[in-house]
Formats: sequence, C-alpha cells, structure tokens
Amino acid sequence: MHELWELLRQAVPLITHGNPYLMSVIWFTVQVAVVATAAATVIGLPLGLAIGLGRFRGRRGLQILANASLGLPPVLVGLFLFFVFAGQGPLGGLHLPVTRRAIFVAQTILGLPYVVALTAAAVQALPSGLPAQARALGAGRLQLAILAVREARIGVLAAIIAALGTSLSEVGAVVIVGGNVYGYDQTLASAALYEANAARYADAVAIGIVLTGLILVLMGGVGVLQQQQGGIRLRFRSAT
Amino acid sequence: MSAGSDNARSTAGAEAPVLLRAAGLEVRRGQRAVVSDVSLELRAGELVALLGPNGAGKSTLLDALGGALPLTAGAVERTGRVAVALQSPDLARRTVVANLMLALGWWGVPKPERRGRAVAALEAIGAGHLARRPAATLSGGERRRVHLARAIAVAPDVLLLDEPFAGLDAEVRATLLEDALSALRSETRATLVVVHDRAEAWALADRLLVLIDGRLVGDGPPRELLEQPPSPGVARFLGYDGSLRDGDATLLTRPPHVALDPAGPLRATVTRATAMEDGFRLELTLAEGRLYSVAPLPAPRVGDTVRLRIDGGVRFPATAAGPLDEFAMLRT
Repeated sequence: MHELWELLRQAVPLITHGNPYLMSVIWFTVQVAVVATAAATVIGLPLGLAIGLGRFRGRRGLQILANASLGLPPVLVGLFLFFVFAGQGPLGGLHLPVTRRAIFVAQTILGLPYVVALTAAAVQALPSGLPAQARALGAGRLQLAILAVREARIGVLAAIIAALGTSLSEVGAVVIVGGNVYGYDQTLASAALYEANAARYADAVAIGIVLTGLILVLMGGVGVLQQQQGGIRLRFRSAT
Repeated sequence: MSAGSDNARSTAGAEAPVLLRAAGLEVRRGQRAVVSDVSLELRAGELVALLGPNGAGKSTLLDALGGALPLTAGAVERTGRVAVALQSPDLARRTVVANLMLALGWWGVPKPERRGRAVAALEAIGAGHLARRPAATLSGGERRRVHLARAIAVAPDVLLLDEPFAGLDAEVRATLLEDALSALRSETRATLVVVHDRAEAWALADRLLVLIDGRLVGDGPPRELLEQPPSPGVARFLGYDGSLRDGDATLLTRPPHVALDPAGPLRATVTRATAMEDGFRLELTLAEGRLYSVAPLPAPRVGDTVRLRIDGGVRFPATAAGPLDEFAMLRT
C-alpha cells in the first residue's frame, strides 16, 4: 500500500507539469478514439441497421458473426492485420505496419463489431409494428433507417460508447501493428504498457491516471447525451 | 353504435369504379393454404367489413391485398395507392402530430402540406386535442385513435385496416366506432376493415365479407347476410346458435328468434342459465334440438319446463346443417 501511495505521489507531478511527451500521447489517443469510433460508426451503423431491419437471406448468420466478433482477442486482430499489412501480405502495398494509420485501422476494426452487433440488437428490440407500419405506408430504406436510429437512439449510443471505450483502452492490436514506438504512435494505453515494461512505474501510473480521466470525460460526455435521450422519454411518461 | 349499417350507407353502387380487384387469391404458409380462392372487388365509396373467427386468415388476406405478402395463386389489381394500417398501433417517440407528419413524409406528401393534413385527420377522428401530446403518454384508446388518423391522413385510394378497434374496452370502443364511422366514409376511397366483433361490422360497414378457414363464404349487406345467411357455416358464425330438427330440414335460430311464451307451441327444459346484465341467457333443450334465448328477470331456473315460440330463423337441409353436436363449437 505504501509503494502504491509513493507511486501516486511521484506520478502526480508528471501530470501537472505538462510533460510534452505526455501531451502528444494524449492528443494522439484522442485522435485515434474519435476517428476510429467515427469510422466504426459510419461503417457499422448501416450494417447494424441492415441486420436489424433487413429481411434478406443470411441475416442471422451475419448477426451471429457480429456477436461472435465481440469476443475476438485484440491481440489476434493485431496479428491478423500485421500479416495482412506486412510487405508480403495482401495489403502490403499500403505500407501500413508501424505507422499511425495502422493504429487508426486496427482500432476501427476493433470497434466495428460493437457498433454492428449492438445497433442490430437495439433496432430489433423496437416494437416490430413501427418499422412494418412505416413500410406499409411507403417508407423507403433511408426513411426506415432514420426512423430506426431515432427510435433506438439509446441503444445506438450504447453501441458507440462501447466502440469508444475499446478505442481508448485497447492495447494488444495497437502494440502489434504500430510497434509501440516511443513518442510516435503510442496511445495512452500502449504508452502505459511501454513504461511498465521499462520498469518506470511512476510514469506508467501517471499515464494510467490520465487515461482514466480521459475515459471518464469522453465516455461521460456520450453517457450524458444518452441519459438526456432517456430523460426525454421519461418526461413524456411523467406528463400522463 | 346505433348509426349502424343500415342508416349511414354510402352511395357506392355498381357504377362506382373498382379500385381493388382480387381474383382466385391463394396465400400459403409452408404447405398450408391460409387463404384460398378468394375473389372480391372493392369500389370507390365502399366501406367493407371483413369478419371471421380467429385464425380464419383475415390479416393474411389483408396483407395479400396490400401487396405485403406474395401470392401463391391469383392476382390483385389495384387502382391508385393502397395504404395498410396494421393491427399494432405502434407510434414513434414524438408528438402525435409529428407522428402523422412522419407518416405523410413516408407517403411522399410535400413538407408544407403535412401539418395541415395531419391536423385535419386528427380533427376528423376526434383526436385534435391530442395533437401536441407525446405519443408515449397516450392511453390504448388514444393510440388506436391516432393510428386511425395516421391511416386517414395519407388519403389513399384504398385503405385496408387490420382490427382497428382491437384490445379496447367496450366503452372506448363504442366511442371510437362512432367517430370512425364518419371519418372512414369517403366517396372516393374504398375501405376494407378487418373486424373480429360482429357488432363492429354492423356499426361500420355497408358490405360484409365473411372469411372462414381462408375462404370467402359470405359477401353482402350485413342485414341481408344476417337474415339470410348463405350457408349453415355462415349462419353459425353470425350468431345462429340454436338448432331444431324439423323433418328433413334443420331450423337455425338466434336468441331473438326464440321467445318464452306460456301459450307457445313448443315445450323445453331449461338446461343452463347464464346471468347477464338485464336477465339470463337460457339454454333450452327440446327433443328435437337445443335453442338459446334471452329472458328478462325473473327468469326460469335450470330444470324448469317452459313453453316457447319461434319467430324467425333460417332453414337448411338437415345434411347441410350437419349434426347437432357441431353447434356446440359455435357457442363457445
């Protein structure tokens, strides 16, 4: 307990003194979280909606695949991407390994199953009569998708929160595809691992504290938005 | 309810244009034919009720007519646009008027027209006061009312409604029926309403279709069908629960046809008495069959012998009417 307290005592000045290295890692982590979550949402939302609302053959298989992907170990995803992006790999021409772009791609892929699976589940939980009625009154696919996202917005936001959480805290794939190069393509999570491996535990704890704070700020912001959506519904109910 | 089928009829006649024509319709689910050989026409100005027992295929037929289900045989010709209001009155999480405007958007109505049409439809169904209410705060009856308004607002050429009064208590249903009666009637639109309750059919429609086991077994004005059912099956479904063997024929009766009368020609034993609001529903057993009647208070008791007369009923050849036991099914 004494050692932990001592580590915290050493870590706090590292945070408060505005270390440029730490600032650059924070900035890159925020970039990765925002870009990867946005990309996973842009790609995953239509897929989730298609699985949740669609009536095509293979829909159930896709949903099982999306659900199973939630349990994929990030290290395996990192390894897979590393070999795909390696010089001899099918996408070797993109020269992605040990680049920041590789981190963005890896975190997007890791966030994607959350957006797809949880969006599909949220949309499927809607009263089935509403999408069916919309179809019966001539709603097109885009109108149906907008209706479903709006009605299932609390569940859809939960999907985005889950993807954001993955992109902030995941470390396995980042280290493998990015190489965890000091001061270049480190996120807060991979930087904490780097410092811990180098036995600089005070630095690792300092980064951990910052990461926790960042998670609280970003997730809290989205969470407040989600609660507001739920609150609107509750206020409606209380008006009866 | 009193503004029933015989005094608020449309002028739709043979000269009114046919807006929907189905010929030889068949819909299968797996190996089972849910709808078989259904042919019908809906004309502009008609308000038609589709009545049938549970599982008769009413909703399936409606979906097929609306184009939501593939046909295994037959064809449907539609003139103009068809709107289907499904049985479940699910609304989006927004205000009532916004729900109607949303539906008008799906239907393709230009944005500037939506609010006016939405408000007009709500007013027509007596739901104008609900316009600004969030849909989540509506009661079951209000929800049904808004669901109906949404269907009316889009102003289709053919409107198909699937049990719009389902799940409502008697009082709310009666009020909604009265309001719906004028709102659903249109000189230019054909409206088909699936109903589960005979009273709804009498109250609303100028034409009644009876669907039993996926087949259309009755088609005509409600009063005509009730007084002259085309078959014993339709008669039973329309409330002819009593039967009396009379030579080679079977007389089918409804409770109003059977009157307790001390000077009546028939003698029966009361074998069951079920209390009702203003009297008793009596099961009367005779040597030739079993009849049902409604008696005011004080009513005879079980085991009493009573005299009665029969005023009306319909006769079918005994073979067509089937064995007497078959009627038990209809009394449930």
